[in-house]
Amino acid sequence: MVILREGICPGINEEFIKALQSEDIKTVEDFVSCNPEELAQKCSLSYKALVAVRRVLLTQYTAFPVSGADLYEELLSSTAILSTGNPSLDKLLDSGLYTGEITELTGSPGSGKTQVCFSVAVNISHELKKTVLYIDTKGSMCANRLLQMLQTKTPNMEEQMEALQKIKVFRVFDVFSLLACLQHLRSNGLQKASVGGGSVKALMVDSVSAVLSSLLGGKQNEGMSLLMQVAGELKMIAKDFNITVLVTNHVTRDGNGHLKAGLGQSWSHVPRTRLLLQRVEDAETSSLRTATLTKSSRQVCHLVEEFDLCHWSEERRTSISGKRKLEERSKP
Amino acid sequence: MHRTVPSLPLAPSVKVKLINAGFQVASDLTDMRPLQLCKEAGISQEEAVEVLQMLRDDGQPHQQRAATESLTALDLLHQEQALGSIVTFCSALDDTLGGGVSMGKTTEICGAPGVGKTQLCMQLAVDVQIPVCFGGLGGKALYIDTEGSFLVQRVADMAEAAVQHCTLLAEDTEQKQALEELTVEKILSNLFLVRCHDYVELLAEVYLLPDFLSKHPEVRLIVIDSIAFPFRHDFEDLSQRTRLLNGLAQQLIQLATQHSIAVVLTNQMTTRVSNGQSKLVPALGESWGHAATQRLILRWEGLRRLASLYKSPSQMEATVQYQITVQGFRDASDEHRPTPDTSAVSSQLGNHSKRPRTEDLS
Repeated sequence: MVILREGICPGINEEFIKALQSEDIKTVEDFVSCNPEELAQKCSLSYKALVAVRRVLLTQYTAFPVSGADLYEELLSSTAILSTGNPSLDKLLDSGLYTGEITELTGSPGSGKTQVCFSVAVNISHELKKTVLYIDTKGSMCANRLLQMLQTKTPNMEEQMEALQKIKVFRVFDVFSLLACLQHLRSNGLQKASVGGGSVKALMVDSVSAVLSSLLGGKQNEGMSLLMQVAGELKMIAKDFNITVLVTNHVTRDGNGHLKAGLGQSWSHVPRTRLLLQRVEDAETSSLRTATLTKSSRQVCHLVEEFDLCHWSEERRTSISGKRKLEERSKP
Repeated sequence: MHRTVPSLPLAPSVKVKLINAGFQVASDLTDMRPLQLCKEAGISQEEAVEVLQMLRDDGQPHQQRAATESLTALDLLHQEQALGSIVTFCSALDDTLGGGVSMGKTTEICGAPGVGKTQLCMQLAVDVQIPVCFGGLGGKALYIDTEGSFLVQRVADMAEAAVQHCTLLAEDTEQKQALEELTVEKILSNLFLVRCHDYVELLAEVYLLPDFLSKHPEVRLIVIDSIAFPFRHDFEDLSQRTRLLNGLAQQLIQLATQHSIAVVLTNQMTTRVSNGQSKLVPALGESWGHAATQRLILRWEGLRRLASLYKSPSQMEATVQYQITVQGFRDASDEHRPTPDTSAVSSQLGNHSKRPRTEDLS
């Protein structure tokens, strides 16, 4: 809604606005949706002036249609696929994280969401040499762990320090600070972040449910609006700047005791791809995890891949995909 | 300013009126006077003044920087290396935790009754006060007790053992000097104790913590023992409980990060029945599991006490054995100093022991 103020177009002055306000027309939408003839009769403004102003406002504020072919060209030239560094996860994600999209990781406590975020961040900053923005809402960012991961990739101290410098950490703990941070990034922060460090290619929010879950439910009426604002900001950042957004979410148990992702149905439509991480029961090494694809627009859902948090870049030989595993489980 | 009006921290009713009046971005509002805003938006004068005050505060450099300030991971690494950690005097557990309970993070300790959670909390409250020259932090501690299980005599025993331990270690003059000031009375006087009787008092106390910490900047440890107790009985609305707990967790992690202190929470265990099998899991629900940064689960295995690190951003999962002695929380088999046998422990603790007298191993 754009407020009618003097100067937004030639021909609108103080008296014009006062006359319109007496007819309860305050915004551009109200103005263009009423009939100029009736308006000219009701208030003391000339028909010509009204039509002229209406034309100017319409040209200024209409959205322009874009053809599908142009959009496709733009998509081909601007989308990049960032490998996560782990072949099993890349298989699930159809070769990696796509820019312009939001990908979500959910899982129980200790299932490895933060570790996956760290591994992806280290991979992007070290292998792909791009800047990563990491928004930490839970205090789980541990630079020592990032250094440990980098040390397994390269023994060169300089490269490690360089890679660490490409990861920028923001620490926010409530939803208003998160929104302030995202809006700041959208307006000028991203250019600042990319100066001197290579362009920003990834934004991670760990976790988005920590700041939003206390606002949903009960008699609170603002929670949904804030959730949607966060979703909107993340999507705009992903699209406008061609970066990939990775968020983490918690899980809750539904009535039957099954795990489901947090933040409800409304949030479930926001990410394009969703992965559920789980521990492997009775495994020899405690760092084994399975990732299940629960929502994807590119792959068949319920594909499962196993991977090891400790050996990120190696492939697990014993992974079998979804259907066969489901069949095996259903056999008594 | 680039903040949109719906994202500002104002009351929803005020925001609705502002949006209906056509204000979309915070910069639309900055040049308005209160009376003008009052008339255009239809809000009361106090609300208009509040809105403009909030925008003015938001525009100040230090506030803006707080939300938009970023550190590179390299800076964070230097910061982390400068922070110490609080030892637990059980070297196996310290190794698992990466040196001890880490600063700037919340650690949750879960366990069945009698396994040693309160003992560990009291030990940490003593250990945080070990002077810097001995490898400790030389800070004070705040102990928020909700169960009434804090025993001053026990802390005094642990403090005495810690002082003796430091006396054995003292080598150079600086350490000897620090040792002269380290007495049991001083340790007890640096421990702030708060008793909360229900969840409302607990929430109020956490709300008042920022002021407390700015008045006492030497406090390096906050212990809440336990966070489960006030939330587990007499709570009808479970979803409200989850929301309150999540809000509480965020406040605590904010305090931990901003003031570089360690926050330790104790949790109880509950039984979950699934597929005809029952399992002991930490209480307060599935979503509380995501609240703490690190999670330590203490449990019994026969007569042994085991501690497992279940969730941590930087350490691998591991299980170690520990024991509780007269001197406090210690390693399981301590060969360097004579350990009294466990019957002495139970007689020392007397009727405060929660362990059943007859060991029922089923």
